[in-house]
Amino acid sequence: MDKLAVLTAFLHSIVVYNIPLLYGTVGEITVEKSGSLNLGVEGIMAVGAIFGYICGCYANSLLVGILAAFAAGVLCGALFAVLTVSLQANQNITGLTLTTFGLGLYFFVGNSLKATGWPVMGNYSNIMKGFSDLSIPLLSEIPLVGKGLFSHNILVYLGIAIAVGMWWYLNKTSPGLRLRAVGENPASADSVGINVKRSKYLHICLGCGIMGIGGYYMGLNLGGSFNSHCWINGYGWIAVALVIFANWNPALAILGTFVFGFFNTLQVSGSSLAGAFPGALGWLADIPAQLYQALPFLITAIVLVVTSIRNKRGSSGLPASLGLNYFREDR
Amino acid sequence: MRIHIVKRENCSLLQKCGLYVGAVLIALVLGGVLLLSIGVDPIAYYTEMFTMGTIGNRIAYKTFMNYLKDFVPLVLTSVALSLAFKMRFWNIGGEGQFIMGAIATAWVAIKLGGVLPTAVVLILMCLAAMVAAGLYGLLVAALKVKFGTNETLLTLMLNYVALYVLTYLLETKAAWNFFLEPTALRPVPQSFDNVVSFPSIPLGGKFALNICVILALAVGALIYVYLKYTKQGYEIAVVGDSAGTARYAGMKVNRIVLRTVFLSACLVGLAAAFKVGTVGTISTTITNDVGWTGIIVAWLSQLNTGVIFVVSALICVLHTGSVEAAASFSRVDSSFANMLQGVILFLILAADFFIRFRVVITKKGDRNHG
Repeated sequence: MDKLAVLTAFLHSIVVYNIPLLYGTVGEITVEKSGSLNLGVEGIMAVGAIFGYICGCYANSLLVGILAAFAAGVLCGALFAVLTVSLQANQNITGLTLTTFGLGLYFFVGNSLKATGWPVMGNYSNIMKGFSDLSIPLLSEIPLVGKGLFSHNILVYLGIAIAVGMWWYLNKTSPGLRLRAVGENPASADSVGINVKRSKYLHICLGCGIMGIGGYYMGLNLGGSFNSHCWINGYGWIAVALVIFANWNPALAILGTFVFGFFNTLQVSGSSLAGAFPGALGWLADIPAQLYQALPFLITAIVLVVTSIRNKRGSSGLPASLGLNYFREDR
Repeated sequence: MRIHIVKRENCSLLQKCGLYVGAVLIALVLGGVLLLSIGVDPIAYYTEMFTMGTIGNRIAYKTFMNYLKDFVPLVLTSVALSLAFKMRFWNIGGEGQFIMGAIATAWVAIKLGGVLPTAVVLILMCLAAMVAAGLYGLLVAALKVKFGTNETLLTLMLNYVALYVLTYLLETKAAWNFFLEPTALRPVPQSFDNVVSFPSIPLGGKFALNICVILALAVGALIYVYLKYTKQGYEIAVVGDSAGTARYAGMKVNRIVLRTVFLSACLVGLAAAFKVGTVGTISTTITNDVGWTGIIVAWLSQLNTGVIFVVSALICVLHTGSVEAAASFSRVDSSFANMLQGVILFLILAADFFIRFRVVITKKGDRNHG
């Protein structure tokens, strides 16, 4: 393979394999901006993945799959919201339980279906067609980066659009502004007439729905082959980390996805890069894969510590009431 | 008509038990409906699961010994985590601390096993695990105390850092890597169960009680006394109620946080030492998710040490039972236990609401509420 093609393939892989992270991250930012820390991302993505995949295949339609994944995510979000917003349950515990439950449900549904007949993705022409790459005219013809960045399946474009849209929503619209007020100080928001409960419910459900689509994407990416490893494989946790790295900003989340994705993909493509450029990149072959796997978490840990040392409350996007429940009668 | 939610202080023990038992029963019914939907008889399945397949089983003692092997790490981790939770320090890092403890245990066992007397090696294994895990936890507590770093997120990240350190050690074949079997061509973790392992006490028949079970019970009793009857235990309770009050009362809050988190992580390390010391090897799945399950157990037990023992025992039945039952019910995956555990906790969390709050319905114009 010629050297440029290796680079193009590398760029292409960074985008294809890591956009699910963007869905998880943007979803979690939406939830956290309402002041709720949801540690159930991994489980919600798994639930979205399995229901999206099954419904999509049975209907032989990518759109149905996306909607089903979104709906499954919304239901998980509703469960989280009922427990933490209405019933004042602890957010950490509820989120972690949602992960346990979601992964349990994923394997339960998947394995029982496998016993009777697993839908194979290749048999559903509309799904295959819907998930194939769409080249953006002109842009995709740029040498080197064109095929790498501008020729992808529809879910990649949708993910970027959701991230940009969420950035716009949070920063430029009044419901977005109100949401941030709820996340910073629900009592003040309540006192100026914002419906705190409704805002929390709405955004928790919306955010979890977005995560669900991300899970579905992961399933499609793996060709829908169901085995003992969950499709999500820790991406939900990386998304929780990425929220911090992106400083709770959906636009920065796109950048963060590519930074984390770069390391993620090096783990897979490192050897082919080392082969194509033995002089400059030969050392890549010697780096253990586990270092790449640990990097997202290590970087996030460092970011967490550094931001807390600098402690500039004004510049951090961390919602002030994150993790605390709001009980109206406590005002 | 308006609905008010009012805090309440006095919920009788009977009411509490009723609500919790109700929550568990509803969860079991929901699980049963799910089983019916895939064509499995729920009664038969639950019978098999809750007896862990021991009825009419000639090797039932083996099942029970395996059960205890899972029970010991879980109960110790849950007790350990409850210490930190009592102070509202969100130690989600049980997994990471467990892994650090496991690595330290294996290190001592491989290097000193056979060199020093077994009893000495076992004690050193425990100490090494406690120090390694304790320091891993203390690091977070120090950052939290000094800079206010969010401990929930930081411990979460460190779990994965620890996991990949362990994966690296177990998958890298090299001359320096003594964690692997030197003679094997592929990376195989070294096993040392015939060199050092925690002894078992034969109790008639083929059943032998591992000493770790007794030690775990003893540690649990000590922690119970520590929390209930010592000055330090009282300090933990006060800090958990309100750090401001504790400071006002002249307590050194930072020191209490550091000490308690260190102790919490140490005990997680001890759980790891018991686990590694009984199975005699390490693997990437050595934690068996106790760091996660422990959080759920501690919370289900309302951080009450005695209750933690009961709840851990029941959760272990769920897990061991579902694995045993998967053998006879091929259509039900053993992940059913995780799902059921999730549903139970969701309902317990909902039941908690009715214990902490009262729902008051007032009619329009009625000023005499709450």
